[in-house]
Amino acid sequence: MSFREKSAWIAFITYTTVFGGYFFYLAQAWDDTYARGLTIGMTIGAVVVLVIVAVVLNVTLALFSPKEANAPADERETLIDLKAERISSYVQSAGVACLIGALLMGWNAILVAVLLQASLVIAELVKSGAQIIYFRRGA
Amino acid sequence: MAIENEIRRLRFENGEMTQQALAERVGVTRQTIIAIEQNKYAPSLEAAFKIADAFSVPLESVFRWKKS
Repeated sequence: MSFREKSAWIAFITYTTVFGGYFFYLAQAWDDTYARGLTIGMTIGAVVVLVIVAVVLNVTLALFSPKEANAPADERETLIDLKAERISSYVQSAGVACLIGALLMGWNAILVAVLLQASLVIAELVKSGAQIIYFRRGA
Repeated sequence: MAIENEIRRLRFENGEMTQQALAERVGVTRQTIIAIEQNKYAPSLEAAFKIADAFSVPLESVFRWKKS
């Protein structure tokens, strides 16, 4: 397994775990009165945890394979990255378009903001998932 | 895939050159050489020329296009 495939796995698992927990606890604790403060607080916490976990795992990975970590992406890895990014952008655009519609229909703005976060997270999961699939079966 | 190759045979004929050694000469990862060898990925023209150069053979001795 190449360094970049391992890195894609780290992104996929980290996002699933951290934001899975974030959305689960947010749904449990959701209260319309305190929604704004709750969301901001939990978002900051989730982002901080995500950054720390991702940095620690990627640095550890780089320590085990420093040569690969320092090498630039080759042509296949670059192509895989671009293909995954394209698929991810479709997901993100669809999510944003749906949420603009939700806002226009009068949905709670904080709820829409949370759903926008979910859309971004899903797009990121799709990206790393697509990268893993392309790495496995060829680009 | 429409592009087929003789990399496995050429590696064997060149002293059982490893995929890692070929990857280093071409400037790609070993996984990319594996993908090319298994016809899962068609390399760029530049990488194809570099692979042929690594075996000191012309391009058409390494790759061929299979009409579908």
